[in-house]
Amino acid sequence: MRRLALPLIAVVLVVAVLGVQVAAGGGHYVPLSPANPCTPRPVPAIPAQLEPLAEQIVLLGLDSAACRLGISRERFVLALAETRSLDPRQSAALKAGLVDAVDRLDREGRLPKVSQLLPQALDQANLPGIVKTIIEAIPDSVVDNLLPTAPLLRGAVGELDINRLLHELNDPRQLNSALQSAILQAAQRQILDRLHP
Amino acid sequence: MGTDRSDQPASPPTPRTTVVLLSLAVAVVLGDAGVVTLALPEILRDFGAQVWGVAWVLIAFNLVLALVAVPAARLCVRGDPAVSTASGIIGFAAATTVCAVAPSLGVLIAARAAQAVGGALVIVGSLELLVAATGVERGGVRRWAVAGVAGAALGPVVGGLLTSAFSWRAIFVVQIPIVLLAFPAAIALRGQVVQRRQPTLDTSPDRPHLLANLALALLSAALTAALFLLVLLIVDGWSRSPAVAAVAVSAVPVAALAAGPVFRGVRAGTRSEAVAGSVLIAGGLTGLALLPGSALVWTLAPQVLIGLGLGLSVDSLTAAALRDRIPRAVHGGWTIAARHAGVVVGLAILTPIFTADLRHAQTPAEEAIARLVLDAPLPASTKFDLAEQLGRRLSTERGRVPDLRPAFTALRVPATQAPAVAALERGLEDQLKRAATRAFRTSFVVAAVLALLALGPALALRDRYRS
Repeated sequence: MRRLALPLIAVVLVVAVLGVQVAAGGGHYVPLSPANPCTPRPVPAIPAQLEPLAEQIVLLGLDSAACRLGISRERFVLALAETRSLDPRQSAALKAGLVDAVDRLDREGRLPKVSQLLPQALDQANLPGIVKTIIEAIPDSVVDNLLPTAPLLRGAVGELDINRLLHELNDPRQLNSALQSAILQAAQRQILDRLHP
Repeated sequence: MGTDRSDQPASPPTPRTTVVLLSLAVAVVLGDAGVVTLALPEILRDFGAQVWGVAWVLIAFNLVLALVAVPAARLCVRGDPAVSTASGIIGFAAATTVCAVAPSLGVLIAARAAQAVGGALVIVGSLELLVAATGVERGGVRRWAVAGVAGAALGPVVGGLLTSAFSWRAIFVVQIPIVLLAFPAAIALRGQVVQRRQPTLDTSPDRPHLLANLALALLSAALTAALFLLVLLIVDGWSRSPAVAAVAVSAVPVAALAAGPVFRGVRAGTRSEAVAGSVLIAGGLTGLALLPGSALVWTLAPQVLIGLGLGLSVDSLTAAALRDRIPRAVHGGWTIAARHAGVVVGLAILTPIFTADLRHAQTPAEEAIARLVLDAPLPASTKFDLAEQLGRRLSTERGRVPDLRPAFTALRVPATQAPAVAALERGLEDQLKRAATRAFRTSFVVAAVLALLALGPALALRDRYRS
């Protein structure tokens, strides 16, 4: 019996220490794993400004694109950051993902009206002063009727050259210019469609 | 012309001084097995080497010591152990000097191998000299074993403190005078070693004690993990300074030294102590594999288990391996060979596992970082800037745990974003610590398995009560 005392004490000490550690979360102290991109994540309130809106659309779009590609959003972003180019399949998935994001925000009534975004957009737009003044003079109801937000954004996504955007990620001016150009083209197309149905 | 006092022969050391100086020499040489553990990151940076290359600073010493311990012991008993010990002291001190001034990793590794050759002569010779100096077989063997355990356990702590206070070269500079102090003690014992066979239960006392040496080898392999991996986790994985790591891992030697008094009332022989020691070391290593956080306090209880196991098992198994066996030095050589072969096997098994796991940890760490950055409550422009900086840090430090602080230092944000940026920095550091801790888990589990394997020979030991 005396010979068993020491090994028994050792076992008791080990069980006590391991018990405390497991109870405190031992074994689960691991890095955050990527969320399932196919599970819709909650969307925070979006201020009626261009940058937060664009960011939410991109984040939701990345989820949807990653889900279509069968990888995590984080892996997709890291691949984008590393290669700075997309193959046609990835590019199509990203565009479809961005459209999905616009659709979701539209369904949930979270998209601001174009008239709310217009002042900021005009501030940043590289347009002649007279043109800005004319646009500002248009009543909000006319703007919103002529340019509903969701179709405008869907059109802008369609106009985007994704690979060019990725190459310009480091140059905010070029990036803004490319985005504005896509939105402007989408707006023109939408207005023309309205005028000549 | 007056008489110069220095011309007169020095008075021989008293036996007590002799015992202390020889014990110190044994502790220093055996402490060398792990003394550079905490200095490895600094050596790695100094020489621009890879982890596997720097691991050879540890492996070379232990491998050569394992290979030459028994031949050194045979050489020692063929002549006068005092002379071979003194020669070993000179050789060890010379090689240590080269280590201290090594201009390249290759020279350092070669000098470490030379250190082991001199060190082997010091260790096995000191066993005979300590028995002669104390005049008691059991007392001398016990002092030798305890000096070895203390040296092995304290080595990484002392090495870490010296590296932190001065540089890794200080580790070697400090050893030289300590070992040289044992030179007159060894010389003073010339012609005093007597081999006496005591009444024994063994029928073949000259054969090495296979079970005790096998258990020592397996436990040493596991203990390597405890010290080598834990300090790497604390310094490289958790970005703590070598000084903090040295203080943190001092729980092992403190618990090892406390094991004797703590368990005095229940010690019941070699088998019982070896079994309990194996269980404690395996349990402590499992505890390190199941850390619930990166606070140093979480490592304390597992370290205490490991230290108690070390204190219970190693000197008990060493005493069992030497009991009634002559020549003592040769059997001492076998225990040293077994322990250091165990260290080498432990490093050879565990280093590739944790370096591979550290590489594999990169993907989950990058994904966790990407997730936190994407979801951070910051404007997209700030996220772009930060992602650019973080990408650079991650790509320049592939294979190591990256330091992300420069990415945040380079970031220029308005004051309103500062709290969110600070929270993100803390979050990313936490993710890196989680990834590093996870990367070491398999190695700690493998080390725990090695300690459990020691239960086999430990259970097969013939038990003897301590007197």
